[in-house]
Order: sequence, then C-alpha cells, then structure tokens
Amino acid sequence: MTTVTAALNDYTRQLRNNRMGLWLFFISEAFLFGGLLVTRFFLWGTTRPPLDQTIGLIVTAVLLLSSFSMNLSETAMEHGDRRTFLVGLVITAVLGATFLIGVMVFEWGLFPALYEGHLRPGDNVYGAVVFAMTGMHALHVISGIIFIAIIWNIGRKGGFSSEQHWGVESCAIYWHYVDVVWIFFYPALYLIGTVAH
Amino acid sequence: MNNSVRIQSYGRSAMVALVLAVLTIAEFYIAIHFQSVIFLMLIALFKAIIVITAYMHVSRLWAPQEEH
Repeated sequence: MTTVTAALNDYTRQLRNNRMGLWLFFISEAFLFGGLLVTRFFLWGTTRPPLDQTIGLIVTAVLLLSSFSMNLSETAMEHGDRRTFLVGLVITAVLGATFLIGVMVFEWGLFPALYEGHLRPGDNVYGAVVFAMTGMHALHVISGIIFIAIIWNIGRKGGFSSEQHWGVESCAIYWHYVDVVWIFFYPALYLIGTVAH
Repeated sequence: MNNSVRIQSYGRSAMVALVLAVLTIAEFYIAIHFQSVIFLMLIALFKAIIVITAYMHVSRLWAPQEEH
C-alpha cells in the first residue's frame, strides 16, 4: 500500500467516524428540542398565543430558502465551483441573520420602536414557552452563522477541495438540522390550536 | 466533473426547495381552513424527511466509503 493510499484510507475512516459523531450529536439535541415541543403541547394544549401567522410564514420561508442556498453551496464545493460555494455561504448567512432579526423584532419585541412585542417571557405559559422555543432555536441559528463565517473564511483562503471538504459538509448538515427543528416548531408555535385571549 | 452534472445537481437542489415551499404553503392553508393537528404534524414530518434525506445526506452514514 502506498503512502498516499494509506493516508486516503485514514481520511475516509475518519470521515465515517466524524459523520457518525455529528449524527449522534443531533440525536442528543433532538431530546432537547423534543422536550420543548412536548412542553408546548402539555402547557398549551389546543390553544396558541396570538402570534402573527404572516410573520411566521415569512421567517419560515426565509429559513427554508437558506437551506437551499446552503445545499447549493455544498454542491458547488463537491464540484469544485469555489465561487458559487462562497456566494452560497454568504447568502445563507444573510438569510439566517434575516430570520434572526425577524424573530427578535416581531416575536421578542426587542426593538419597540420598530414593533411593539405582545409577549414577555415572565407573563404566562405562552410567553415562557415561546421564548424558550424560539430562544433555544435562535441560539443554534447564531452558532450556525458563526460556523458559516469560519467555513467561508477557510474557503476564501483556498481551503477545502472537491475531494476533501468535511468542514463544509458538517456546516451544511448542521444548518439543515437547525432548519429541521424549525419545521416542527413552526406549526407548533404558529399554526396548531385556537388563539388564546 | 463536467458542467452538466454540476448544473443537474443544482437543479435537484432547487426542486427539493420547491417541494418544501409547496408543502409549507399547504401547511399554512390547512392551518387556516381545517385546523387538523395530525395533518399539520404529518406534513412537518414529511418535510423533515425530505430535508434529512436530500439535504443532510443521511444515507452517507451507511454508504460505501467515499471522500469529502
């Protein structure tokens, strides 16, 4: 076996372990988000807070769009298209930030001059659960954006190749995981149940 | 890899995004007109499966060795 073949075998073995590790991490995270989802159904039942459904649909669309641009970016790196890869990452980060701003302005009411929020975390079970669910999710969006920035910087300097780009793949998978969580949070927060007054 | 394969991959990615968009609109419509919790959670589950298989490449976990 040549040195190059041995090195490649080591890399592919490491890659399999990395993938397995990342998915195990997702499973552990699923308990956290699953717990929040169960909390929502236990405390709210078939009611929901008066959240703006249009805002919910818009931020959801933005996040789904960011998943598309992230997949585009990862596919571009798989095919050695560095320019599309870098542009895709920037678009994903911008869409992620837009989602975050949408939640902070319209759900949390962090900027009353722009939009007066109607829920507070300590007000009642609705405020507590909305802030717990969106807060935990937002934390993951922030860490995803930081992850994207790191990958973008490495890619900008010529890092990664079409053959070896675990960093890009892991970043993309993490971002999609954040999207999957929102896929369940969106109906739970905005769509299911009748509005409580 | 040639250009047509790359463009085909981009197209597949766009198609998945389109399906997700349609399902999200369907979700919104069902929530407003029917209020079916089961149906809404089924659509969410379906969307999640699409993302996990198409975007997160879960099948790579048990695929034969490859580079990346």
